[in-house]
Amino acid sequence: MGQTIDCREAEARLQDFLKQELTPELAVEVRGHLDRCRRCFDHARFEESFLRMLEARARQEVCPGRVRDRILQALRREAERG
Amino acid sequence: MAEPSAAGRSFDDEALPHLDALYRVALRLTMDPTQAEDLVQDTMLKAYRSWRQYRPGTNAKGWLLTILRNTFINDYRRRKLEPIAMDLEAAEPHAILRQIADSDPEGNFFAQIVDQRVLEAIDALPTEFREVLVLSDMEGLSYADIAETLQVPVGTVKSRLFRARRQLQGALYAHAVEMGYIRPRTG
Repeated sequence: MGQTIDCREAEARLQDFLKQELTPELAVEVRGHLDRCRRCFDHARFEESFLRMLEARARQEVCPGRVRDRILQALRREAERG
Repeated sequence: MAEPSAAGRSFDDEALPHLDALYRVALRLTMDPTQAEDLVQDTMLKAYRSWRQYRPGTNAKGWLLTILRNTFINDYRRRKLEPIAMDLEAAEPHAILRQIADSDPEGNFFAQIVDQRVLEAIDALPTEFREVLVLSDMEGLSYADIAETLQVPVGTVKSRLFRARRQLQGALYAHAVEMGYIRPRTG
């Protein structure tokens, strides 16, 4: 278990691993490699900080109240039209 | 105000909570606040009119984003010139990322880059890359949902994402060096 993939393959699958998009079997392989390889482990931390940064930035942007009101009004008109 | 769908969940309950996400994606696709407003409104009106086609219990966010993207392609895309694709990966395969990850494994330099600069770097990506990155890494859609939204195979989503992230990382790195947040490694 976790002995078969090398740095190249681990790197290719790293992002999918962090996004939890790998099959359980492949995830075990990647995790196993990260436990053994310091360099890939550091690389994984870097990729993770990148993905977290994007998630955090995304949440900071919201639909302005003025736009929300405008859209709700348009929907109300649409509903009245039937 | 809106009528309930077959399963009784109303349009308001299912669709309105996703307004922020729709607005963010619209901004990244149009790169223009005024167009983004129009795009979100058009999307919500279309979604409202075809609300009976929404299958209750499925991913409402994905359904709405699909409508938004189709509306963008059909009605908005031609209005604006596409940014020129700049493929960092082709120029320097893997070297850049290795260099950044080695010199800053914690990714601390990301924290120093202001929000506006990150968004500008995302906006500078080619549309094909920008839309997968926004849907996956900012809005949290699964690869499968993105594949359905874009009508492309999951493998295509994966490879576009991979290249989009590399290109964005490279652009942010270049910015960080330029601003003096980090020193480029030599040799």
